[in-house]
Amino acid sequence: MDFPGSFSNIKFYLLGAYPNGPVGGLLLNIVLAILAIAFSFLVGALLGYSRLSCRKYIKVPSVLYIEIVRATPLIMLIFWFYFFLPYVLGKNISVFWSAVIALSIYAAAYEAEIFRAGILAVPRGQMEAALTSGMTRYQAMKFIVFPQALKIMVPSLVSFFVSLFKDTSVTFIIGVIELTQTGIIVSQRQPDKMYASYLCVAIGYFIVCFSMSHLARMLEKKIGVFDLESYRPDACRDEYMLMPTHRKIPDEKVPAAGCYPPGL
Amino acid sequence: MIITGIKITILLMAITSVTSLLLGTVVAIMRISRIKILRALGTIYVEIFRNIPGLFWVIFFYFIFPEILPFGWGARLNAYPNYPVVAGVMGLTVDNASYVSDILRSGRLAIPHGQREAAISSGLNRVQQYIYVLLPQMFRATLPPLGTRMVHNFKNTSLCMAITAPELTWATQQIESLTFRGIEATTMATLFYVGLAGVMASIIIILEKVLRIDIAKSAYQTRG
Repeated sequence: MDFPGSFSNIKFYLLGAYPNGPVGGLLLNIVLAILAIAFSFLVGALLGYSRLSCRKYIKVPSVLYIEIVRATPLIMLIFWFYFFLPYVLGKNISVFWSAVIALSIYAAAYEAEIFRAGILAVPRGQMEAALTSGMTRYQAMKFIVFPQALKIMVPSLVSFFVSLFKDTSVTFIIGVIELTQTGIIVSQRQPDKMYASYLCVAIGYFIVCFSMSHLARMLEKKIGVFDLESYRPDACRDEYMLMPTHRKIPDEKVPAAGCYPPGL
Repeated sequence: MIITGIKITILLMAITSVTSLLLGTVVAIMRISRIKILRALGTIYVEIFRNIPGLFWVIFFYFIFPEILPFGWGARLNAYPNYPVVAGVMGLTVDNASYVSDILRSGRLAIPHGQREAAISSGLNRVQQYIYVLLPQMFRATLPPLGTRMVHNFKNTSLCMAITAPELTWATQQIESLTFRGIEATTMATLFYVGLAGVMASIIIILEKVLRIDIAKSAYQTRG
């Protein structure tokens, strides 16, 4: 096979019209995913933490947010922010920013779950020890629990980044010129070499996702799996060994979930 | 329009759930088989389909698949009026099956060795071992992640609007462009998605309660 049309377009696939125009192609996918993760990180952390709260008026809204966003297809969210945000704001926003906002809203719900899993994964003793040594709950959270939770969250965050990266392809529907859209444009220009342009798109996604998901797997091996979202009671025995000892082992008496810190 | 959309969405969801379960099971068995080629093929399948977005596969089956089919089958497919739906089913199936097979494989790894040994010693052959002993346990042990996957798959049916399959999201866009009543239609559709996802989740929770076996627990106990 030869890709005459595609190799001359390789810059278009990777960068879009970058030096002369807006960023596009594969780079835009990466930018979208990184921006969405960065914007949603704080909101996700807050949501995840408030989901663990014992107070109903804090917990219920965050649970509602998380569940509703997670039950809505991403396309629906993107449409909401693309078509109906201008009504609310009274002015137009660009396609790119509406995509970023929708993706951030979407990512926040998933990150909240990752964050919750991370906090729950830190042994309870850590919080208790911090409190007994005279720290306030805020200090204990900031200096003791949160850094450890962050470390546990890293593999899940990386694999979430992969899935978010794949989800950025959906933004082509509102006309963001990212990799899929680029492929479609090129294939329409050269209808006789359609397969080549789609192959380029596939390779682009594959390289990024493959390397990232392998990074996630490596990190998982190093740090240990902990993800309540994909909590697998079927984890194989070797994984049990890798797992931090505080992992929910069925024989252990586990306090009722939902409140953090338990008993306080 | 909305009603047709809902019908097509549910149809897509139902068909792809079943087909992706079947395909996923086949791939999972390939990945845990003893034959190296099958194992390699299964791994390649999973890596390819997991690392490229589902949207791409949906588009691929709509635009490219008819082109590469030999003997003019592609032209026949293109002439078929419901081809968008068929392409959507194929795209979603291959995408979802890769995840399903990964989940099922982890379920197989969790089954204690004793089960297989017991099956062998009671005289079952390879196929019977899978049908009567291993597969039921694999499905039952992996119910929670499988359920999450199926809800994801349901949400992914909205990707088929990219290839003009007349499902719910596409219907709302049509209504928006024809009547400018987009907000109402989109609200309806969002409510429907959230509602049906909730129903699916609760069905899965009930199923879990009825069917779930805690393999991790038994494995843990056998280890002492």
